[in-house]
Amino acid sequence: MLKAHSSVTALLRTTGISIRPEVTTLRNVACMQHLLGAVRWKSQLRPAPLLTARPSRALIDEQISIQGRFLPPNCPVTVRAHMHSEEGDLWEAFSHYNTDKNGVVNLTKDPSVGGSYFGCEPMGLFWALHPAPSARQGLRLRKRDVETPYVVQLSLWEGHMTSDQDPMDEQHAGCLAALSVERWYMAPHTRRVEIRQNGVVGTLFLPSGPGPFPAMVDLWGIGGGLNEYRSALFASKGIASLSLAYFGHKDIPGPLNQINVGDDYFRSAYNLLQDHQEVCGERIGLIGLSYGVYLVLHMATHIGLKPKCVIGINGPVGSNDKWPSMMSGSSPKAVDEHGNFTVKDMTMPHNIAKDNKIKIETLECPLLYILGEDDSNCASVESANEIGEVLRSAGKAQLFTRLSYPGAGHLIEPPYSPNTSVSLWRAKPKRIRAFWGGHPAPHAAAQEDAWKKMFDFMDCNLRR
Amino acid sequence: MNALKRLYRRQEVIPSCKTFATSQWTSFLHFRSDLLRNNFMARTIAMLSVHPSRGLVDEKFRVEVENLPPACPVTLHCLHRSEDQDHWEAFGHYCSDHSGTVKVSEDESLGGTYSGREHMGLLWSMRPVPGSRRGLRLRKTHVDVPMTLLISVYRGHLTAGFRELPPVASVVAERWYMAPGVKRIAVEERGVTGTFFIPPGPGPFPGVLDMWGGGGGLVEYRSALLASRGLASMALKYIDPGDTPTDMRMGYFETAFQIIQDHPQVISDRVGILGLSFGTSVALTVAAYSQISRPRCCVGISGSHAYPINRPVAELFGEMGMNEEKMKRDEEDNVIMRNLILPIATDPAKKVDVGRIECPLLLVNGDDDQNWATTESAEDIANMMSVAGNKHLLTTLTYPKAGHLIEPPFTPHIRASNFIVQHSKEKVIMLWGGEPKGHAVAQEDSWKRILNFLKEHLCIEPTLVPQAKL
Repeated sequence: MLKAHSSVTALLRTTGISIRPEVTTLRNVACMQHLLGAVRWKSQLRPAPLLTARPSRALIDEQISIQGRFLPPNCPVTVRAHMHSEEGDLWEAFSHYNTDKNGVVNLTKDPSVGGSYFGCEPMGLFWALHPAPSARQGLRLRKRDVETPYVVQLSLWEGHMTSDQDPMDEQHAGCLAALSVERWYMAPHTRRVEIRQNGVVGTLFLPSGPGPFPAMVDLWGIGGGLNEYRSALFASKGIASLSLAYFGHKDIPGPLNQINVGDDYFRSAYNLLQDHQEVCGERIGLIGLSYGVYLVLHMATHIGLKPKCVIGINGPVGSNDKWPSMMSGSSPKAVDEHGNFTVKDMTMPHNIAKDNKIKIETLECPLLYILGEDDSNCASVESANEIGEVLRSAGKAQLFTRLSYPGAGHLIEPPYSPNTSVSLWRAKPKRIRAFWGGHPAPHAAAQEDAWKKMFDFMDCNLRR
Repeated sequence: MNALKRLYRRQEVIPSCKTFATSQWTSFLHFRSDLLRNNFMARTIAMLSVHPSRGLVDEKFRVEVENLPPACPVTLHCLHRSEDQDHWEAFGHYCSDHSGTVKVSEDESLGGTYSGREHMGLLWSMRPVPGSRRGLRLRKTHVDVPMTLLISVYRGHLTAGFRELPPVASVVAERWYMAPGVKRIAVEERGVTGTFFIPPGPGPFPGVLDMWGGGGGLVEYRSALLASRGLASMALKYIDPGDTPTDMRMGYFETAFQIIQDHPQVISDRVGILGLSFGTSVALTVAAYSQISRPRCCVGISGSHAYPINRPVAELFGEMGMNEEKMKRDEEDNVIMRNLILPIATDPAKKVDVGRIECPLLLVNGDDDQNWATTESAEDIANMMSVAGNKHLLTTLTYPKAGHLIEPPFTPHIRASNFIVQHSKEKVIMLWGGEPKGHAVAQEDSWKRILNFLKEHLCIEPTLVPQAKL
C-alpha cells in the first residue's frame, strides 16, 4: 500500500514554487518522492485506518463522537487535535489510547491513558486545547468573527506520541488518518444585527424563525470590548440575545479606560430589546460574567427594569465608580504581591462599602449564580454567600439558585472550550498577567454542566 | 394540574389555598380552563430543534418540537428552494404528547406527504409545491455549498397555504454533500473530463469510478458523498447533453480508470466502478472485457447488460433510436422506455458477456423501474453467470415499488422528469417509476449496502488477516 504523503503543500514549502493542484503534478511529486526514498511502504494486508467524527459540522456546545477503526488490535495510538486561532496561534491537544481487540478506538467510551487529559472524555480534545509549545504564551481562545467556524484538524497516529518529542505534521509517516471538523457559534440562518442606535452599542443575535423570541441581555467583564460568541450560541438555540458593550469600546464616547455610561444606557438597551418586534417583551432575562454580574444585578434592582430572570457567573455584589479604571489600568489595588491582576480583595463583600453594594433584597426575579470554587480573580464564593444570606433574610430564598463547581476557575464559558487559568492582561506599560484559576478537567465539567443548567433555567423562566 | 398552578401563581389570581373550599376550587378550575386553552399558545413559546443543524445528506437528523400544549395538532413542514429556483415541500401532521412534545423520529405522522413513523419523511417525501413546472428533478450542481431547508411548525393540520400563514417556529437546517476537508479537484487530462473528490487525511484511499446515465453531464454529488465516507471517487463525464455523443469507446473509460489508479493518494489495486442506468452497461463492459482496467469490484444501479460499449457510444444511442416503436407513453404522455431492451437478446453480441467478470458484482434494482428492464436483465445476468460458473460473485438487490433513479438516501423520489433523448434531442418527460415510500426505503437501504460492499471489497477486513501467536 503506497503512502505517498508529499503533498503540494509540502512541495510549496520546500521549493516555494506556486503549483496548481492537479492530478499530473501530484503524480510527478509522488515519483520524485519515491526516487528520494521518502516513500514508506506498508504491508499490503493492512487496511487503511479510518477516523470518523460525527457530526463533522457541529455547534460549539454539541458533542462530537470520534472513532478510529481498522487499526491493529491492542495497539497504542494517539489522537491529536490542532487548530489555528484567529490570531494565527497554533492550539493543540493530544491523547493516548489503546485500541480494543477489534482495532477500534471510540473516544466516547474509551479512556485516555495519557496526553492532554486522562480518562473517558469524549470532548477532551477540544477543552484540553492549549497553545503549542512554539506558540506565544498567556493566550486566551476567543472567537471574534462568530459567523465563521473554527476548523479543527483531527489526526490519528501510531504509538503514543507527544508534540514535544516528534514533529506531528500530517505529512509524517506515523500519521494514519486525518479529518477536519467545523465548530460553529452560529446555527444556520441565525441573524447577526449590529446595534448602534439610541446610544446603545452592541450586537443582537436573532434565532431563525418568525419569533417572537425570549431574549437575554449579555454582559461580560471589565476586559471590555464586545464579546459576541455567547449571544450567538443563545440565538442558535432559540433565545434572542443582545451582547452589550459598556466599557473599552471605540463606539462608546469618552475615554476608553473608564465606564462612561450610566443607568440610562442600560435602560435604553433593555428597552431596545423589549421594543424589538421579534422579541417577546415580557420574557427578557439578564446574564453577566465577572463585573457583568454587578451590572446585571444593578439593572435588575435599581433602575426600574423587570427582567424575568438573572444569571450571574463569578461576579461581585458591589462596585464603586473608581473600580473600572482601577481594574483596567495598573492600579496597585488590582494586582497581588507578584504583580498579577486580581480583584479578589476588592470584590470581597466585607471590603465593599454598604452604599456601593447592590440591594439584593429588592430582587424580584429568580437568580442563578454560577461560581467556580477555584476562582483566583474574584471573590465569587464570598459574594455568593452574601447574596444567599441577604435573600434568605428577606424571605426570598426561593429565588436563589447557586451552582458551585469545585476546581473550576473564573472564566466559566460555553462548554468544550479550553479553560484559561492565566492569561496576559496588559502588555503596556507593564506586562501584567491575570490569574483566573481553574483546573482543566473540573473546569470543563463545570462549563458543560453549567451550560445545561443555564438553559434549563432560561427555559423555565422565559418559555413557560 | 401543575401547569394550571403555575399560571395561577403568575397571575396571582387565587388567594391562599387554605381559604378555598374544594368545590369552589373545582368550579374555578373549570372556569379558568377555557381561558387556559386559549391563552396557552400565547403563554408558552414552542421550541423547534433540528439536530444536527448541519449534516451530510446521507445522515439522519432529529426534528423535535417542545413546549407545545398537550395533545395539540401541529403540522411539521419542510421547504427547500432548489438551485433552479423551484420550491419543494413536504409536511406531516402530528399531535403533541402529554408533555407537549413532538418527536418526528418516534411519533406517527397522521397525514401529509407521508404517514406513519418516518424519521426522515420530511426529506424523502418532498415534492414540487403546487403550481410548479412539470417534470422537475432535484439535483445539486454546486456540491461545495449545502442544501438549505426551512423546517417550520404550524398550528393545526394543514395541507396548503403554508406561505400565507405564520409558523409557530422555524429553523434552517443545512444538508451537505461534502464533509469538511474533502478536496475537490477538476480533472481535464488525456481527453478525460471529470471531478475527483479526495477524502481528508494522508490516505491512501480506495478509489471509485462513478458514472451516471444517458442524461449526461458531470454529476458530482454522489462522488462527493463517497469521498465524505472515505472513498476517493471520480465523477466522470462521458456524454455532453448539449452535443452529439462523440466517438467515445471503451478506451475513454479505461483511461479514466487509469487516472484514478495513478493518483498518489489512491491504492491502485483497490479501485472499483459504480454506474447508474447506462453507466451500468459501461461498468459491466469494463469489468468483463478490459485487459487494462481490472476493477476490484463493480456496482450497477438500475442498469442492464444490454448495449455493451463495443462500439462508439453515439452508435449505441442511434441504435436505441431505431427501436422507437418499443417506447410507449402513459396516460400523462410520459415516455416509458422499459421495453426497449425487451425481450432480453439471446444474441451474445448484443449484451455484455457477464460470464467473463472476475470481480464481485452488486446489482441494485427497483422492481417498478419504468425506464430500463432491470429486473429481467438481472435475471438474465444471473443465468449467464450461472452457466459460466461465476455466479458466486453476483449479489442482486431488488426493491419493491422502487423506480429507476435510486440515488443517495433522504432525497425525494422522482417518478417522472424532463429528459432530452440523446439520439433525437427531443424533450420528453421520462417515466422513472416507483412510489415515494418504497423508493425511499430502497435509497436508504441500498446506500448502506453499496458503501458496505465497496468497503468490504476495497479495504480488507482485519479478521481476514491471519493472527499469528508468537
